[in-house]
Amino acid sequence: MANGVHVKFSNVSKRFRTPKGDWYQAIKELDFEIQPGEFVSLVGPTGCGKSTALTLVSGLEFPSLGTVEVDGTVVKDIDTSTGFVFQHDATFPWMNVANNVAAGPRFRGVPDKEVDALVQKWIGKVGLTGFEKHFPHQLSGGMRKRVALAQSLINEPRLLLLDEPFSALDVQTRAIMTEELMQLWEQTGSTVMFVTHDLEEAIALSDRVLVLTAGPGSIKANFKIDLPRPRKARDIRFSPEFIKIYQEIWEVLREEVDVAYQRQLIASK
Amino acid sequence: MSIDQTAGNPDFASESQLKRKALFRTIRIKTLQVSLAAALLYSWQMLTDHKIMDPFFFGKPTGVWHQLFVWIHNGTAAGSLWYNAYVTLMESTYGFLIGVILGVIFGILLGRNRILAEVFAPYIKIANSIPRVVLGSIFTVIWGLGSTSKIALAFVLVFFPVFFNAFTGTHEADKKLIANARLLGASKRQVTRKVVLPSALSWIMASMHVSFGFAIIGAIVGEFLGSNHGLGLLIATAQATFNPNGVYAAMLIIGIMALTAEWLITQLENRLLNWRPNQNSGAEL
Repeated sequence: MANGVHVKFSNVSKRFRTPKGDWYQAIKELDFEIQPGEFVSLVGPTGCGKSTALTLVSGLEFPSLGTVEVDGTVVKDIDTSTGFVFQHDATFPWMNVANNVAAGPRFRGVPDKEVDALVQKWIGKVGLTGFEKHFPHQLSGGMRKRVALAQSLINEPRLLLLDEPFSALDVQTRAIMTEELMQLWEQTGSTVMFVTHDLEEAIALSDRVLVLTAGPGSIKANFKIDLPRPRKARDIRFSPEFIKIYQEIWEVLREEVDVAYQRQLIASK
Repeated sequence: MSIDQTAGNPDFASESQLKRKALFRTIRIKTLQVSLAAALLYSWQMLTDHKIMDPFFFGKPTGVWHQLFVWIHNGTAAGSLWYNAYVTLMESTYGFLIGVILGVIFGILLGRNRILAEVFAPYIKIANSIPRVVLGSIFTVIWGLGSTSKIALAFVLVFFPVFFNAFTGTHEADKKLIANARLLGASKRQVTRKVVLPSALSWIMASMHVSFGFAIIGAIVGEFLGSNHGLGLLIATAQATFNPNGVYAAMLIIGIMALTAEWLITQLENRLLNWRPNQNSGAEL
């Protein structure tokens, strides 16, 4: 689909039952569109429902009100043309690297010979050649994230959902992974929804940054990032344009962060 | 002035030094283990020889040994010793296998299906609260003195622990992993086979360790209640003829069977769960 909207949120609200029996509203009247091939980041304070938004796109959860559309169809079930990389490890601990990466194609019934070739290709792309026989617990956090990326990308998802994928990594590993994600994405050209609380990471990677309000989340502001591509994530953050955009967005984001923080203070009293 | 701080420092020991140390440690522990057994057997023998403990009730090691010798050479009243051991082993193994297979199937089925689980919950609780050994009497009435009634009792004893562990293991399966598998394109069935079963496997294996012991109990108790062959019958006969040595001799054979089975299950576990990080710490108990 070269033209048309890829992801569309129309007036989406989502509320959950808390274990105490109260209702918790995660998202309120969320409205936005994402074009095919766009890399869009969702940033916002803790608890603003940004991860919830991703689960609504993937079909793991459904909106309480409003609709989420992917390619013009309302999401009603888990959509396997969508890739999802979770915040926490979701690699299968009983499968070695090769089998973890092969999981998707095998579930989908791709013939064994093709699977092997695909697995080799993607293990190479994420730089894990030589680790095929290792089990996840034998790998570092960064390497497990590479497995998770390969596991998702091997299915060639047209839409990739990334839920704070690097938040558990140390700062240096994170910088490297950010860079590699950008290179991988430039090769595939899929649409990406990236949830993060790291504004720097969001700006460095994205075409557009959506700032969400403190929960229940709705769109507070929409920033287009016009930095030239291909970008070098590690160097770009020192350029004056980057710093200018960063300040602009941070001004907006800070108000919401403050609101969320004040609420936490009151709640903990 | 420089002193070689690494000499004799355990943190700088060479590979061969470490190996030697480990070897010495193993020898020491084995020696202590054997001495302990020898000391116990010796004091048992002495206490009964000198009539401090009455050999009529407690038997004695040489008596047990003699009984085994007689059984092996002359056979027992119920046929050769090996045949009786074989009967008990066969009954326990069948009961164990059927119990494990059905326990796993029902555990996963109910673990994956909320409605089924809720419908069956009270019945399972009731069934589990019945002292199951009592069922042995009923099985003997239904199936008579043959092996079927023993297999049935062993099965009943094995089924519940395996079922409960499989059920819990299924429930404990990481929801993130299931979500991930679904997004990667797995059907419900594939999720069960490729995600839920492997995650429940450590729970299932844990229950298998205990339940082979239960299977043997089932077979032996079944044989007590009425049978033509089996180690349980040998024990019952020895008891009826006031022969404690016979009871201990049969116990010894049962112990060897149970240990062998335990070893086999551990081998299976190591093969199936080879993806787990090594947990080699502390003494194995």
